[in-house]
Amino acid sequence: MDAVLIIQLIAASVAGAILYTIIGIAPGTDETAVLAPVTLVLVLSGFEPIVILAFFIAAIVAKKLTDSIPVAIAGIPGGVMSAPMVEHAMVLKKHGMPELSIRKMASGSVIGTVIAVPMSLLMANLIAPLSDEITQYASQIFLGGAIFLALMTKHRWIALLSIVPFAFLIQGLRMFYWETGIVPEDQTVFTSFFLGITIGPVILKLAELLNGRSRRKLPRFGKKDIAMRRTEKVKGFPNPFKILTGKEIGTTSISSILGVLTFFMSPVGMTIFLGETLTSRIKDPVKKAARAISSMDGLTNAAYLSGTLIPLIAIGLPLSPTAIGPGGPLFNAPPVFTEENNLHHMLSMSDFIVATLIGAIVAISITFYITIKYAQQICAFVFRFIPHEAMLGVFFGLVIMLAYMDAGIVNIVGVIVVALVAGFLHRKGVNYGVQFMTLYAAPWLVSLFL
Amino acid sequence: MPQQRQEEENIEVWEDLVHIKDLVIAIIISTITTLGAYIIAPNDPPKPLIFGLVGAVGGFIISSLLIKPKRNFRYMDEEEE
Repeated sequence: MDAVLIIQLIAASVAGAILYTIIGIAPGTDETAVLAPVTLVLVLSGFEPIVILAFFIAAIVAKKLTDSIPVAIAGIPGGVMSAPMVEHAMVLKKHGMPELSIRKMASGSVIGTVIAVPMSLLMANLIAPLSDEITQYASQIFLGGAIFLALMTKHRWIALLSIVPFAFLIQGLRMFYWETGIVPEDQTVFTSFFLGITIGPVILKLAELLNGRSRRKLPRFGKKDIAMRRTEKVKGFPNPFKILTGKEIGTTSISSILGVLTFFMSPVGMTIFLGETLTSRIKDPVKKAARAISSMDGLTNAAYLSGTLIPLIAIGLPLSPTAIGPGGPLFNAPPVFTEENNLHHMLSMSDFIVATLIGAIVAISITFYITIKYAQQICAFVFRFIPHEAMLGVFFGLVIMLAYMDAGIVNIVGVIVVALVAGFLHRKGVNYGVQFMTLYAAPWLVSLFL
Repeated sequence: MPQQRQEEENIEVWEDLVHIKDLVIAIIISTITTLGAYIIAPNDPPKPLIFGLVGAVGGFIISSLLIKPKRNFRYMDEEEE
Protein backbone atom coordinates (compact mmCIF):
# COMPACT_ATOMS: atom_id res chain seq x y z
CA MET A 1 0.00 0.00 0.00
CA ASP A 2 1.66 3.22 -1.07
CA ALA A 3 1.74 6.63 0.51
CA VAL A 4 -0.56 8.21 -2.08
CA LEU A 5 -3.32 5.76 -1.29
CA ILE A 6 -2.91 6.30 2.45
CA ILE A 7 -3.21 10.05 1.90
CA GLN A 8 -6.35 9.49 -0.17
CA LEU A 9 -7.80 7.34 2.61
CA ILE A 10 -7.09 10.00 5.18
CA ALA A 11 -8.51 12.74 2.96
CA ALA A 12 -11.69 10.74 2.34
CA SER A 13 -12.04 10.09 6.06
CA VAL A 14 -11.57 13.75 6.92
CA ALA A 15 -14.18 14.72 4.33
CA GLY A 16 -16.63 12.11 5.62
CA ALA A 17 -16.07 13.09 9.24
CA ILE A 18 -16.57 16.82 8.66
CA LEU A 19 -19.57 16.46 6.37
CA TYR A 20 -21.38 14.07 8.71
CA THR A 21 -20.48 16.03 11.82
CA ILE A 22 -22.66 18.79 10.37
CA ILE A 23 -25.36 16.52 8.96
CA GLY A 24 -25.47 14.54 12.21
CA ILE A 25 -26.41 17.63 14.16
CA ALA A 26 -29.21 18.67 11.85
CA PRO A 27 -32.46 17.42 13.36
CA GLY A 28 -34.42 14.55 11.88
CA THR A 29 -31.79 13.25 9.50
CA ASP A 30 -32.48 9.59 8.96
CA GLU A 31 -29.29 7.53 8.68
CA THR A 32 -30.26 5.70 5.53
CA ALA A 33 -31.54 8.79 3.80
CA VAL A 34 -28.42 10.85 4.42
CA LEU A 35 -25.72 8.20 4.09
CA ALA A 36 -26.95 6.09 1.19
CA PRO A 37 -27.33 8.73 -1.56
CA VAL A 38 -23.94 10.36 -0.96
CA THR A 39 -22.15 7.01 -0.72
CA LEU A 40 -23.89 5.92 -3.87
CA VAL A 41 -22.77 8.95 -5.81
CA LEU A 42 -19.19 8.38 -4.67
CA VAL A 43 -19.34 4.72 -5.68
CA LEU A 44 -20.76 5.54 -9.10
CA SER A 45 -18.23 8.33 -9.58
CA GLY A 46 -15.53 5.70 -9.69
CA PHE A 47 -13.57 6.36 -6.52
CA GLU A 48 -11.30 3.53 -5.35
CA PRO A 49 -13.35 0.97 -3.38
CA ILE A 50 -11.02 1.19 -0.39
CA VAL A 51 -11.33 4.99 -0.32
CA ILE A 52 -15.11 4.68 -0.30
CA LEU A 53 -14.97 2.29 2.64
CA ALA A 54 -12.79 4.70 4.64
CA PHE A 55 -15.21 7.51 3.81
CA PHE A 56 -18.20 5.44 4.86
CA ILE A 57 -16.68 4.31 8.16
CA ALA A 58 -15.64 7.86 9.01
CA ALA A 59 -19.12 9.05 8.07
CA ILE A 60 -20.97 6.61 10.32
CA VAL A 61 -18.67 7.14 13.27
CA ALA A 62 -19.00 10.92 12.92
CA LYS A 63 -22.74 10.81 12.36
CA LYS A 64 -23.28 8.59 15.39
CA LEU A 65 -21.09 10.81 17.53
CA THR A 66 -22.93 13.97 16.60
CA ASP A 67 -26.54 12.94 16.17
CA SER A 68 -26.90 12.81 19.93
CA ILE A 69 -25.89 16.45 20.34
CA PRO A 70 -29.28 17.97 19.49
CA VAL A 71 -30.84 15.36 21.77
CA ALA A 72 -28.78 16.58 24.68
CA ILE A 73 -29.14 20.26 23.96
CA ALA A 74 -32.66 20.59 22.69
CA GLY A 75 -34.34 17.21 23.12
CA ILE A 76 -34.66 16.88 19.34
CA PRO A 77 -33.33 13.61 17.98
CA GLY A 78 -30.62 14.15 15.36
CA GLY A 79 -31.58 10.87 13.74
CA VAL A 80 -33.84 7.87 14.08
CA MET A 81 -31.27 6.04 16.16
CA SER A 82 -30.97 8.73 18.78
CA ALA A 83 -34.73 8.88 19.37
CA PRO A 84 -34.65 6.32 22.21
CA MET A 85 -32.17 8.51 24.08
CA VAL A 86 -34.38 11.58 24.22
CA GLU A 87 -36.10 10.57 27.45
CA HIS A 88 -32.86 10.07 29.37
CA ALA A 89 -31.18 13.12 27.90
CA MET A 90 -34.16 15.21 28.99
CA VAL A 91 -33.58 14.08 32.58
CA LEU A 92 -30.04 15.45 32.45
CA LYS A 93 -31.19 18.59 30.69
CA LYS A 94 -33.79 19.15 33.39
CA HIS A 95 -31.06 18.92 35.97
CA GLY A 96 -29.15 21.54 33.97
CA MET A 97 -26.49 19.20 32.65
CA PRO A 98 -26.85 19.06 28.87
CA GLU A 99 -23.10 19.26 28.32
CA LEU A 100 -22.68 16.29 30.64
CA SER A 101 -24.94 14.22 28.41
CA ILE A 102 -22.97 15.24 25.34
CA ARG A 103 -19.72 14.16 26.95
CA LYS A 104 -21.17 10.90 28.20
CA MET A 105 -22.78 10.07 24.87
CA ALA A 106 -19.72 10.93 22.84
CA SER A 107 -17.52 8.88 25.15
CA GLY A 108 -19.97 5.99 24.90
CA SER A 109 -19.70 6.25 21.13
CA VAL A 110 -15.92 6.07 21.31
CA ILE A 111 -16.05 2.91 23.43
CA GLY A 112 -18.61 1.39 21.07
CA THR A 113 -16.28 2.07 18.14
CA VAL A 114 -13.19 0.75 19.91
CA ILE A 115 -14.99 -2.49 20.74
CA ALA A 116 -16.85 -2.90 17.47
CA VAL A 117 -13.94 -2.63 15.05
CA PRO A 118 -11.79 -5.55 16.27
CA MET A 119 -14.79 -7.65 17.24
CA SER A 120 -16.44 -7.24 13.85
CA LEU A 121 -13.25 -8.31 12.10
CA LEU A 122 -13.14 -11.36 14.35
CA MET A 123 -16.80 -12.25 13.87
CA ALA A 124 -16.43 -11.82 10.15
CA ASN A 125 -13.65 -14.39 10.14
CA LEU A 126 -15.83 -16.83 12.06
CA ILE A 127 -18.73 -16.44 9.65
CA ALA A 128 -16.68 -16.32 6.45
CA PRO A 129 -16.45 -20.13 5.98
CA LEU A 130 -20.25 -20.26 5.73
CA SER A 131 -20.25 -17.59 3.07
CA ASP A 132 -20.67 -19.93 0.06
CA GLU A 133 -23.66 -21.63 1.62
CA ILE A 134 -25.19 -18.29 2.51
CA THR A 135 -24.74 -16.67 -0.91
CA GLN A 136 -26.27 -19.70 -2.61
CA TYR A 137 -29.53 -19.11 -0.81
CA ALA A 138 -29.32 -15.31 -0.86
CA SER A 139 -32.83 -14.68 -2.21
CA GLN A 140 -34.38 -17.06 0.26
CA ILE A 141 -32.43 -15.46 3.07
CA PHE A 142 -33.60 -12.00 2.02
CA LEU A 143 -37.20 -13.18 2.03
CA GLY A 144 -36.58 -14.78 5.42
CA GLY A 145 -35.05 -11.50 6.56
CA ALA A 146 -38.05 -9.54 5.38
CA ILE A 147 -40.40 -11.91 7.22
CA PHE A 148 -38.23 -11.88 10.34
CA LEU A 149 -37.99 -8.08 10.42
CA ALA A 150 -41.71 -7.83 9.72
CA LEU A 151 -42.51 -10.06 12.67
CA MET A 152 -40.23 -8.00 14.91
CA THR A 153 -42.14 -4.78 14.30
CA LYS A 154 -45.15 -3.54 16.18
CA HIS A 155 -47.41 -3.64 13.15
CA ARG A 156 -46.40 -7.11 12.08
CA TRP A 157 -49.43 -8.16 10.08
CA ILE A 158 -49.45 -5.24 7.69
CA ALA A 159 -45.67 -5.58 7.39
CA LEU A 160 -46.04 -9.24 6.50
CA LEU A 161 -48.86 -8.54 4.07
CA SER A 162 -46.85 -5.83 2.30
CA ILE A 163 -43.98 -8.10 1.21
CA VAL A 164 -45.45 -9.84 -1.84
CA PRO A 165 -47.38 -6.88 -3.31
CA PHE A 166 -44.38 -4.61 -2.91
CA ALA A 167 -42.16 -7.16 -4.65
CA PHE A 168 -44.68 -7.23 -7.51
CA LEU A 169 -44.61 -3.46 -7.84
CA ILE A 170 -40.81 -3.41 -8.08
CA GLN A 171 -40.51 -6.33 -10.44
CA GLY A 172 -43.47 -5.09 -12.46
CA LEU A 173 -41.75 -1.77 -13.12
CA ARG A 174 -38.55 -3.57 -14.11
CA MET A 175 -40.41 -5.78 -16.55
CA PHE A 176 -42.14 -2.74 -17.99
CA TYR A 177 -38.75 -1.10 -18.58
CA TRP A 178 -37.46 -4.25 -20.30
CA GLU A 179 -40.60 -4.64 -22.36
CA THR A 180 -40.48 -1.07 -23.67
CA GLY A 181 -36.74 -1.22 -24.24
CA ILE A 182 -36.02 1.69 -21.91
CA VAL A 183 -33.56 -0.55 -20.11
CA PRO A 184 -31.71 -3.46 -21.80
CA GLU A 185 -32.86 -6.91 -20.62
CA ASP A 186 -29.59 -7.71 -18.90
CA GLN A 187 -29.78 -4.64 -16.68
CA THR A 188 -31.77 -4.38 -13.48
CA VAL A 189 -32.84 -1.03 -12.11
CA PHE A 190 -31.90 -1.13 -8.46
CA THR A 191 -30.31 2.07 -7.23
CA SER A 192 -33.15 4.41 -7.90
CA PHE A 193 -35.77 2.09 -6.40
CA PHE A 194 -33.60 1.84 -3.33
CA LEU A 195 -33.57 5.62 -3.08
CA GLY A 196 -37.27 5.78 -3.82
CA ILE A 197 -37.88 3.67 -0.73
CA THR A 198 -35.51 5.83 1.28
CA ILE A 199 -37.21 9.09 0.43
CA GLY A 200 -40.71 7.56 0.41
CA PRO A 201 -42.04 9.10 3.62
CA VAL A 202 -41.07 12.59 2.50
CA ILE A 203 -42.50 12.16 -1.01
CA LEU A 204 -45.80 10.96 0.45
CA LYS A 205 -45.95 13.96 2.74
CA LEU A 206 -45.23 16.30 -0.17
CA ALA A 207 -47.87 14.63 -2.30
CA GLU A 208 -50.42 15.15 0.45
CA LEU A 209 -49.67 18.85 0.44
CA LEU A 210 -51.11 18.96 -3.08
CA ASN A 211 -54.47 18.05 -1.66
CA GLY A 212 -56.03 21.24 -0.35
CA ARG A 213 -58.26 19.54 2.17
CA SER A 214 -55.57 17.49 3.84
CA ARG A 215 -53.21 20.45 3.65
CA ARG A 216 -55.62 22.55 5.67
CA LYS A 217 -56.06 19.72 8.14
CA LEU A 218 -52.34 19.45 8.93
CA PRO A 219 -51.33 20.78 12.30
CA ARG A 220 -49.69 24.19 11.96
CA PHE A 221 -46.86 25.44 14.06
CA GLY A 222 -45.11 28.74 14.68
CA LYS A 223 -41.38 28.51 14.93
CA LYS A 224 -39.57 25.86 16.87
CA ASP A 225 -38.24 27.31 20.09
CA ILE A 226 -34.78 26.16 20.99
CA ALA A 227 -33.12 27.50 24.11
CA MET A 228 -29.60 26.62 25.04
CA ARG A 229 -27.71 27.18 28.25
CA ARG A 230 -24.21 28.54 27.82
CA THR A 231 -21.65 25.99 28.91
CA GLU A 232 -18.10 26.23 30.09
CA LYS A 233 -15.13 25.56 27.87
CA VAL A 234 -13.38 22.22 28.21
CA LYS A 235 -9.62 22.44 28.49
CA GLY A 236 -7.12 20.12 26.84
CA PHE A 237 -7.86 17.02 24.80
CA PRO A 238 -10.81 15.12 26.26
CA ASN A 239 -10.29 11.54 27.40
CA PRO A 240 -13.39 9.34 27.10
CA PHE A 241 -12.16 6.99 29.79
CA LYS A 242 -12.00 9.82 32.31
CA ILE A 243 -15.37 11.25 31.33
CA LEU A 244 -17.16 7.99 32.07
CA THR A 245 -17.18 6.31 35.47
CA GLY A 246 -15.95 2.73 35.85
CA LYS A 247 -19.50 1.39 35.97
CA GLU A 248 -20.51 3.34 32.89
CA ILE A 249 -17.52 1.99 30.98
CA GLY A 250 -18.57 -1.51 32.08
CA THR A 251 -22.20 -1.21 30.97
CA THR A 252 -21.21 0.53 27.76
CA SER A 253 -18.73 -2.23 26.93
CA ILE A 254 -21.29 -4.95 27.59
CA SER A 255 -23.94 -3.29 25.47
CA SER A 256 -21.42 -2.64 22.69
CA ILE A 257 -20.43 -6.31 22.65
CA LEU A 258 -24.10 -7.32 22.51
CA GLY A 259 -24.57 -4.77 19.74
CA VAL A 260 -21.91 -6.53 17.68
CA LEU A 261 -23.29 -10.00 18.39
CA THR A 262 -26.77 -8.96 17.30
CA PHE A 263 -25.58 -7.20 14.15
CA PHE A 264 -28.39 -8.75 12.11
CA MET A 265 -31.12 -7.24 14.30
CA SER A 266 -32.69 -3.81 14.10
CA PRO A 267 -30.31 -1.44 15.94
CA VAL A 268 -33.11 0.82 17.18
CA GLY A 269 -34.94 -2.09 18.73
CA MET A 270 -31.80 -3.38 20.41
CA THR A 271 -30.95 0.09 21.71
CA ILE A 272 -34.29 0.49 23.40
CA PHE A 273 -34.30 -3.05 24.76
CA LEU A 274 -30.73 -3.15 26.13
CA GLY A 275 -30.60 0.46 27.26
CA GLU A 276 -33.62 -0.13 29.45
CA THR A 277 -32.65 -3.58 30.74
CA LEU A 278 -29.12 -2.66 31.71
CA THR A 279 -30.14 0.39 33.71
CA SER A 280 -33.50 -0.60 35.16
CA ARG A 281 -32.11 -1.19 38.64
CA ILE A 282 -30.44 2.18 39.15
CA LYS A 283 -32.46 4.46 41.41
CA ASP A 284 -30.80 7.89 41.16
CA PRO A 285 -32.37 9.49 38.05
CA VAL A 286 -29.22 11.38 37.04
CA LYS A 287 -26.94 8.36 37.37
CA LYS A 288 -29.46 6.20 35.60
CA ALA A 289 -29.80 8.63 32.72
CA ALA A 290 -26.02 9.01 32.37
CA ARG A 291 -25.57 5.24 32.36
CA ALA A 292 -28.39 4.77 29.86
CA ILE A 293 -27.24 7.33 27.33
CA SER A 294 -23.59 6.29 27.40
CA SER A 295 -24.43 2.62 26.92
CA MET A 296 -27.09 3.34 24.28
CA ASP A 297 -24.69 5.45 22.30
CA GLY A 298 -22.02 2.77 22.56
CA LEU A 299 -24.50 0.21 21.34
CA THR A 300 -25.77 2.16 18.35
CA ASN A 301 -22.22 2.80 17.25
CA ALA A 302 -21.19 -0.82 17.68
CA ALA A 303 -24.34 -2.09 15.97
CA TYR A 304 -23.80 0.22 13.04
CA LEU A 305 -20.15 -0.66 12.52
CA SER A 306 -20.63 -4.39 12.94
CA GLY A 307 -23.81 -4.37 10.85
CA THR A 308 -21.79 -2.86 8.01
CA LEU A 309 -18.48 -4.64 8.42
CA ILE A 310 -19.47 -8.22 9.20
CA PRO A 311 -21.72 -8.79 6.17
CA LEU A 312 -19.29 -6.84 3.99
CA ILE A 313 -16.21 -8.81 4.99
CA ALA A 314 -17.70 -12.24 5.56
CA ILE A 315 -20.52 -12.61 3.05
CA GLY A 316 -20.71 -9.84 0.48
CA LEU A 317 -24.48 -9.62 0.79
CA PRO A 318 -26.22 -6.96 2.87
CA LEU A 319 -27.63 -9.22 5.56
CA SER A 320 -28.25 -6.72 8.33
CA PRO A 321 -30.50 -3.69 8.63
CA THR A 322 -27.48 -1.37 8.57
CA ALA A 323 -25.87 -3.04 5.59
CA ILE A 324 -29.06 -3.05 3.62
CA GLY A 325 -29.95 0.53 4.52
CA PRO A 326 -27.17 3.11 4.93
CA GLY A 327 -24.49 0.69 3.72
CA GLY A 328 -26.54 -0.52 0.75
CA PRO A 329 -24.44 1.18 -1.94
CA LEU A 330 -21.33 -0.67 -0.71
CA PHE A 331 -22.98 -3.95 -1.72
CA ASN A 332 -25.03 -3.10 -4.74
CA ALA A 333 -24.64 -0.05 -6.95
CA PRO A 334 -24.79 -1.23 -10.54
CA PRO A 335 -22.78 -1.03 -12.70
CA VAL A 336 -19.87 -0.48 -10.27
CA PHE A 337 -20.87 -2.87 -7.50
CA THR A 338 -23.16 -5.85 -7.87
CA GLU A 339 -24.06 -8.72 -5.58
CA GLU A 340 -21.34 -10.77 -7.28
CA ASN A 341 -18.73 -8.06 -7.37
CA ASN A 342 -18.59 -5.53 -4.56
CA LEU A 343 -16.28 -4.42 -1.77
CA HIS A 344 -16.36 -7.95 -0.38
CA HIS A 345 -14.79 -9.31 -3.56
CA MET A 346 -12.54 -6.36 -4.35
CA LEU A 347 -10.82 -5.77 -1.04
CA SER A 348 -8.49 -8.03 0.89
CA MET A 349 -8.65 -8.49 4.65
CA SER A 350 -5.77 -6.07 5.16
CA ASP A 351 -7.54 -3.50 2.96
CA PHE A 352 -10.59 -3.79 5.20
CA ILE A 353 -8.53 -3.39 8.34
CA VAL A 354 -6.59 -0.40 7.05
CA ALA A 355 -9.62 1.44 5.67
CA THR A 356 -11.70 0.79 8.77
CA LEU A 357 -8.97 1.83 11.16
CA ILE A 358 -8.13 5.00 9.25
CA GLY A 359 -11.80 5.92 8.88
CA ALA A 360 -12.60 5.26 12.54
CA ILE A 361 -9.49 6.89 13.97
CA VAL A 362 -9.77 10.02 11.84
CA ALA A 363 -13.46 10.39 12.63
CA ILE A 364 -12.99 9.86 16.35
CA SER A 365 -10.10 12.27 16.64
CA ILE A 366 -11.76 15.03 14.62
CA THR A 367 -15.35 14.58 15.65
CA PHE A 368 -14.87 13.59 19.28
CA TYR A 369 -12.61 16.57 19.83
CA ILE A 370 -14.96 18.94 18.03
CA THR A 371 -18.03 17.46 19.71
CA ILE A 372 -16.73 17.91 23.21
CA LYS A 373 -15.22 21.33 22.62
CA TYR A 374 -17.56 23.07 20.25
CA ALA A 375 -20.86 21.20 20.54
CA GLN A 376 -22.66 24.36 21.43
CA GLN A 377 -21.25 26.55 18.71
CA ILE A 378 -21.96 23.97 16.02
CA CYS A 379 -25.49 23.48 17.24
CA ALA A 380 -26.08 27.20 17.27
CA PHE A 381 -24.76 27.48 13.72
CA VAL A 382 -26.89 24.65 12.36
CA PHE A 383 -30.05 25.75 14.14
CA ARG A 384 -29.61 29.35 13.04
CA PHE A 385 -28.44 29.05 9.46
CA ILE A 386 -29.26 25.68 7.95
CA PRO A 387 -32.92 25.55 6.91
CA HIS A 388 -34.58 22.15 6.94
CA GLU A 389 -36.02 22.96 3.52
CA ALA A 390 -32.53 23.07 1.99
CA MET A 391 -31.73 19.59 3.26
CA LEU A 392 -34.96 18.10 2.00
CA GLY A 393 -34.37 19.87 -1.31
CA VAL A 394 -30.90 18.38 -1.75
CA PHE A 395 -32.00 14.83 -1.11
CA PHE A 396 -34.90 15.26 -3.47
CA GLY A 397 -32.54 16.61 -6.13
CA LEU A 398 -30.11 13.71 -5.71
CA VAL A 399 -32.87 11.15 -5.97
CA ILE A 400 -34.27 12.71 -9.14
CA MET A 401 -30.82 12.83 -10.70
CA LEU A 402 -30.07 9.18 -9.91
CA ALA A 403 -33.50 8.13 -11.15
CA TYR A 404 -32.85 9.93 -14.42
CA MET A 405 -29.45 8.27 -14.65
CA ASP A 406 -30.87 4.78 -14.22
CA ALA A 407 -33.54 4.92 -16.92
CA GLY A 408 -34.35 8.44 -18.04
CA ILE A 409 -37.51 10.50 -17.55
CA VAL A 410 -39.78 7.45 -17.34
CA ASN A 411 -37.88 6.25 -14.32
CA ILE A 412 -38.43 9.54 -12.49
CA VAL A 413 -42.12 8.64 -12.68
CA GLY A 414 -41.33 5.04 -11.70
CA VAL A 415 -39.36 6.15 -8.67
CA ILE A 416 -42.18 8.45 -7.60
CA VAL A 417 -44.57 5.47 -7.75
CA VAL A 418 -42.20 3.34 -5.66
CA ALA A 419 -41.69 6.24 -3.24
CA LEU A 420 -45.42 6.84 -2.79
CA VAL A 421 -46.11 3.19 -2.05
CA ALA A 422 -43.03 2.89 0.18
CA GLY A 423 -44.00 6.06 2.02
CA PHE A 424 -47.51 4.76 2.57
CA LEU A 425 -46.21 1.42 3.87
CA HIS A 426 -43.70 3.20 6.07
CA ARG A 427 -46.46 5.25 7.63
CA LYS A 428 -48.46 2.10 8.31
CA GLY A 429 -45.52 0.70 10.25
CA VAL A 430 -43.59 -1.27 7.63
CA ASN A 431 -40.02 -0.19 8.33
CA TYR A 432 -37.14 0.32 5.91
CA GLY A 433 -35.59 -3.05 6.78
CA VAL A 434 -38.62 -5.00 5.56
CA GLN A 435 -38.88 -2.91 2.39
CA PHE A 436 -35.19 -3.21 1.49
CA MET A 437 -35.17 -6.97 2.09
CA THR A 438 -38.21 -7.19 -0.19
CA LEU A 439 -36.39 -5.15 -2.84
CA TYR A 440 -33.58 -7.71 -2.80
CA ALA A 441 -35.86 -10.73 -2.73
CA ALA A 442 -38.21 -9.37 -5.42
CA PRO A 443 -36.83 -11.07 -8.58
CA TRP A 444 -36.85 -14.53 -7.01
CA LEU A 445 -40.09 -14.01 -5.10
CA VAL A 446 -41.99 -12.90 -8.19
CA SER A 447 -40.53 -15.73 -10.30
CA LEU A 448 -42.23 -18.18 -7.94
CA PHE A 449 -45.60 -16.96 -9.19
CA LEU A 450 -44.81 -16.96 -12.90
CA MET B 1 -47.49 28.71 24.61
CA PRO B 2 -49.97 31.14 23.03
CA GLN B 3 -48.81 32.56 19.74
CA GLN B 4 -50.44 34.76 17.18
CA ARG B 5 -52.63 32.70 14.93
CA GLN B 6 -51.47 34.08 11.59
CA GLU B 7 -47.83 33.29 12.37
CA GLU B 8 -48.51 29.60 12.66
CA GLU B 9 -48.09 28.47 9.13
CA ASN B 10 -45.30 25.92 9.30
CA ILE B 11 -45.82 22.19 9.00
CA GLU B 12 -43.75 19.29 10.22
CA VAL B 13 -41.85 17.13 7.73
CA TRP B 14 -39.25 14.69 8.97
CA GLU B 15 -39.16 15.91 12.57
CA ASP B 16 -38.59 19.56 11.81
CA LEU B 17 -40.69 22.50 10.73
CA VAL B 18 -40.87 23.81 7.18
CA HIS B 19 -42.84 26.43 5.35
CA ILE B 20 -44.58 24.90 2.34
CA LYS B 21 -43.68 27.67 -0.10
CA ASP B 22 -40.03 27.64 0.97
CA LEU B 23 -39.92 23.88 0.70
CA VAL B 24 -41.22 24.02 -2.86
CA ILE B 25 -38.64 26.69 -3.70
CA ALA B 26 -35.81 24.60 -2.17
CA ILE B 27 -36.90 21.51 -4.08
CA ILE B 28 -37.09 23.40 -7.36
CA ILE B 29 -33.68 25.02 -6.84
CA SER B 30 -31.98 21.74 -5.90
CA THR B 31 -33.59 19.77 -8.68
CA ILE B 32 -32.60 22.34 -11.29
CA THR B 33 -29.01 22.67 -10.09
CA THR B 34 -28.49 18.92 -9.60
CA LEU B 35 -30.26 17.50 -12.63
CA GLY B 36 -29.22 20.50 -14.72
CA ALA B 37 -25.54 20.04 -13.91
CA TYR B 38 -25.86 16.32 -14.63
CA ILE B 39 -27.39 16.93 -18.05
CA ILE B 40 -25.04 19.72 -19.21
CA ALA B 41 -21.93 17.79 -18.09
CA PRO B 42 -19.76 16.25 -20.83
CA ASN B 43 -20.96 12.74 -21.55
CA ASP B 44 -17.90 11.02 -20.20
CA PRO B 45 -18.49 9.04 -17.00
CA PRO B 46 -18.05 9.77 -14.16
CA LYS B 47 -18.14 13.48 -15.02
CA PRO B 48 -21.97 13.80 -15.10
CA LEU B 49 -22.22 12.47 -11.55
CA ILE B 50 -19.51 14.72 -10.22
CA PHE B 51 -21.16 17.71 -11.90
CA GLY B 52 -24.45 16.59 -10.36
CA LEU B 53 -22.91 16.36 -6.90
CA VAL B 54 -21.42 19.83 -7.25
CA GLY B 55 -24.83 21.03 -8.43
CA ALA B 56 -26.42 19.51 -5.33
CA VAL B 57 -23.97 21.31 -3.05
CA GLY B 58 -24.58 24.53 -4.97
CA GLY B 59 -28.34 24.11 -4.66
CA PHE B 60 -27.96 23.50 -0.95
CA ILE B 61 -25.93 26.66 -0.46
CA ILE B 62 -28.31 28.79 -2.55
CA SER B 63 -31.39 27.55 -0.70
CA SER B 64 -29.67 27.98 2.67
CA LEU B 65 -28.99 31.60 1.80
CA LEU B 66 -32.49 32.27 0.51
CA ILE B 67 -34.52 30.48 3.16
CA LYS B 68 -34.59 31.23 6.84
CA PRO B 69 -34.74 28.27 9.23
CA LYS B 70 -38.02 27.99 11.10
CA ARG B 71 -36.41 27.94 14.48
CA ASN B 72 -36.23 30.53 17.22
CA PHE B 73 -32.86 30.12 18.73
CA ARG B 74 -31.64 31.84 21.85
CA TYR B 75 -29.22 31.32 24.64
CA MET B 76 -30.82 30.78 27.97
CA ASP B 77 -29.29 32.82 30.76
CA GLU B 78 -29.32 30.99 34.07
CA GLU B 79 -32.41 29.96 35.96
CA GLU B 80 -35.11 30.32 33.30
CA GLU B 81 -36.90 27.23 32.12
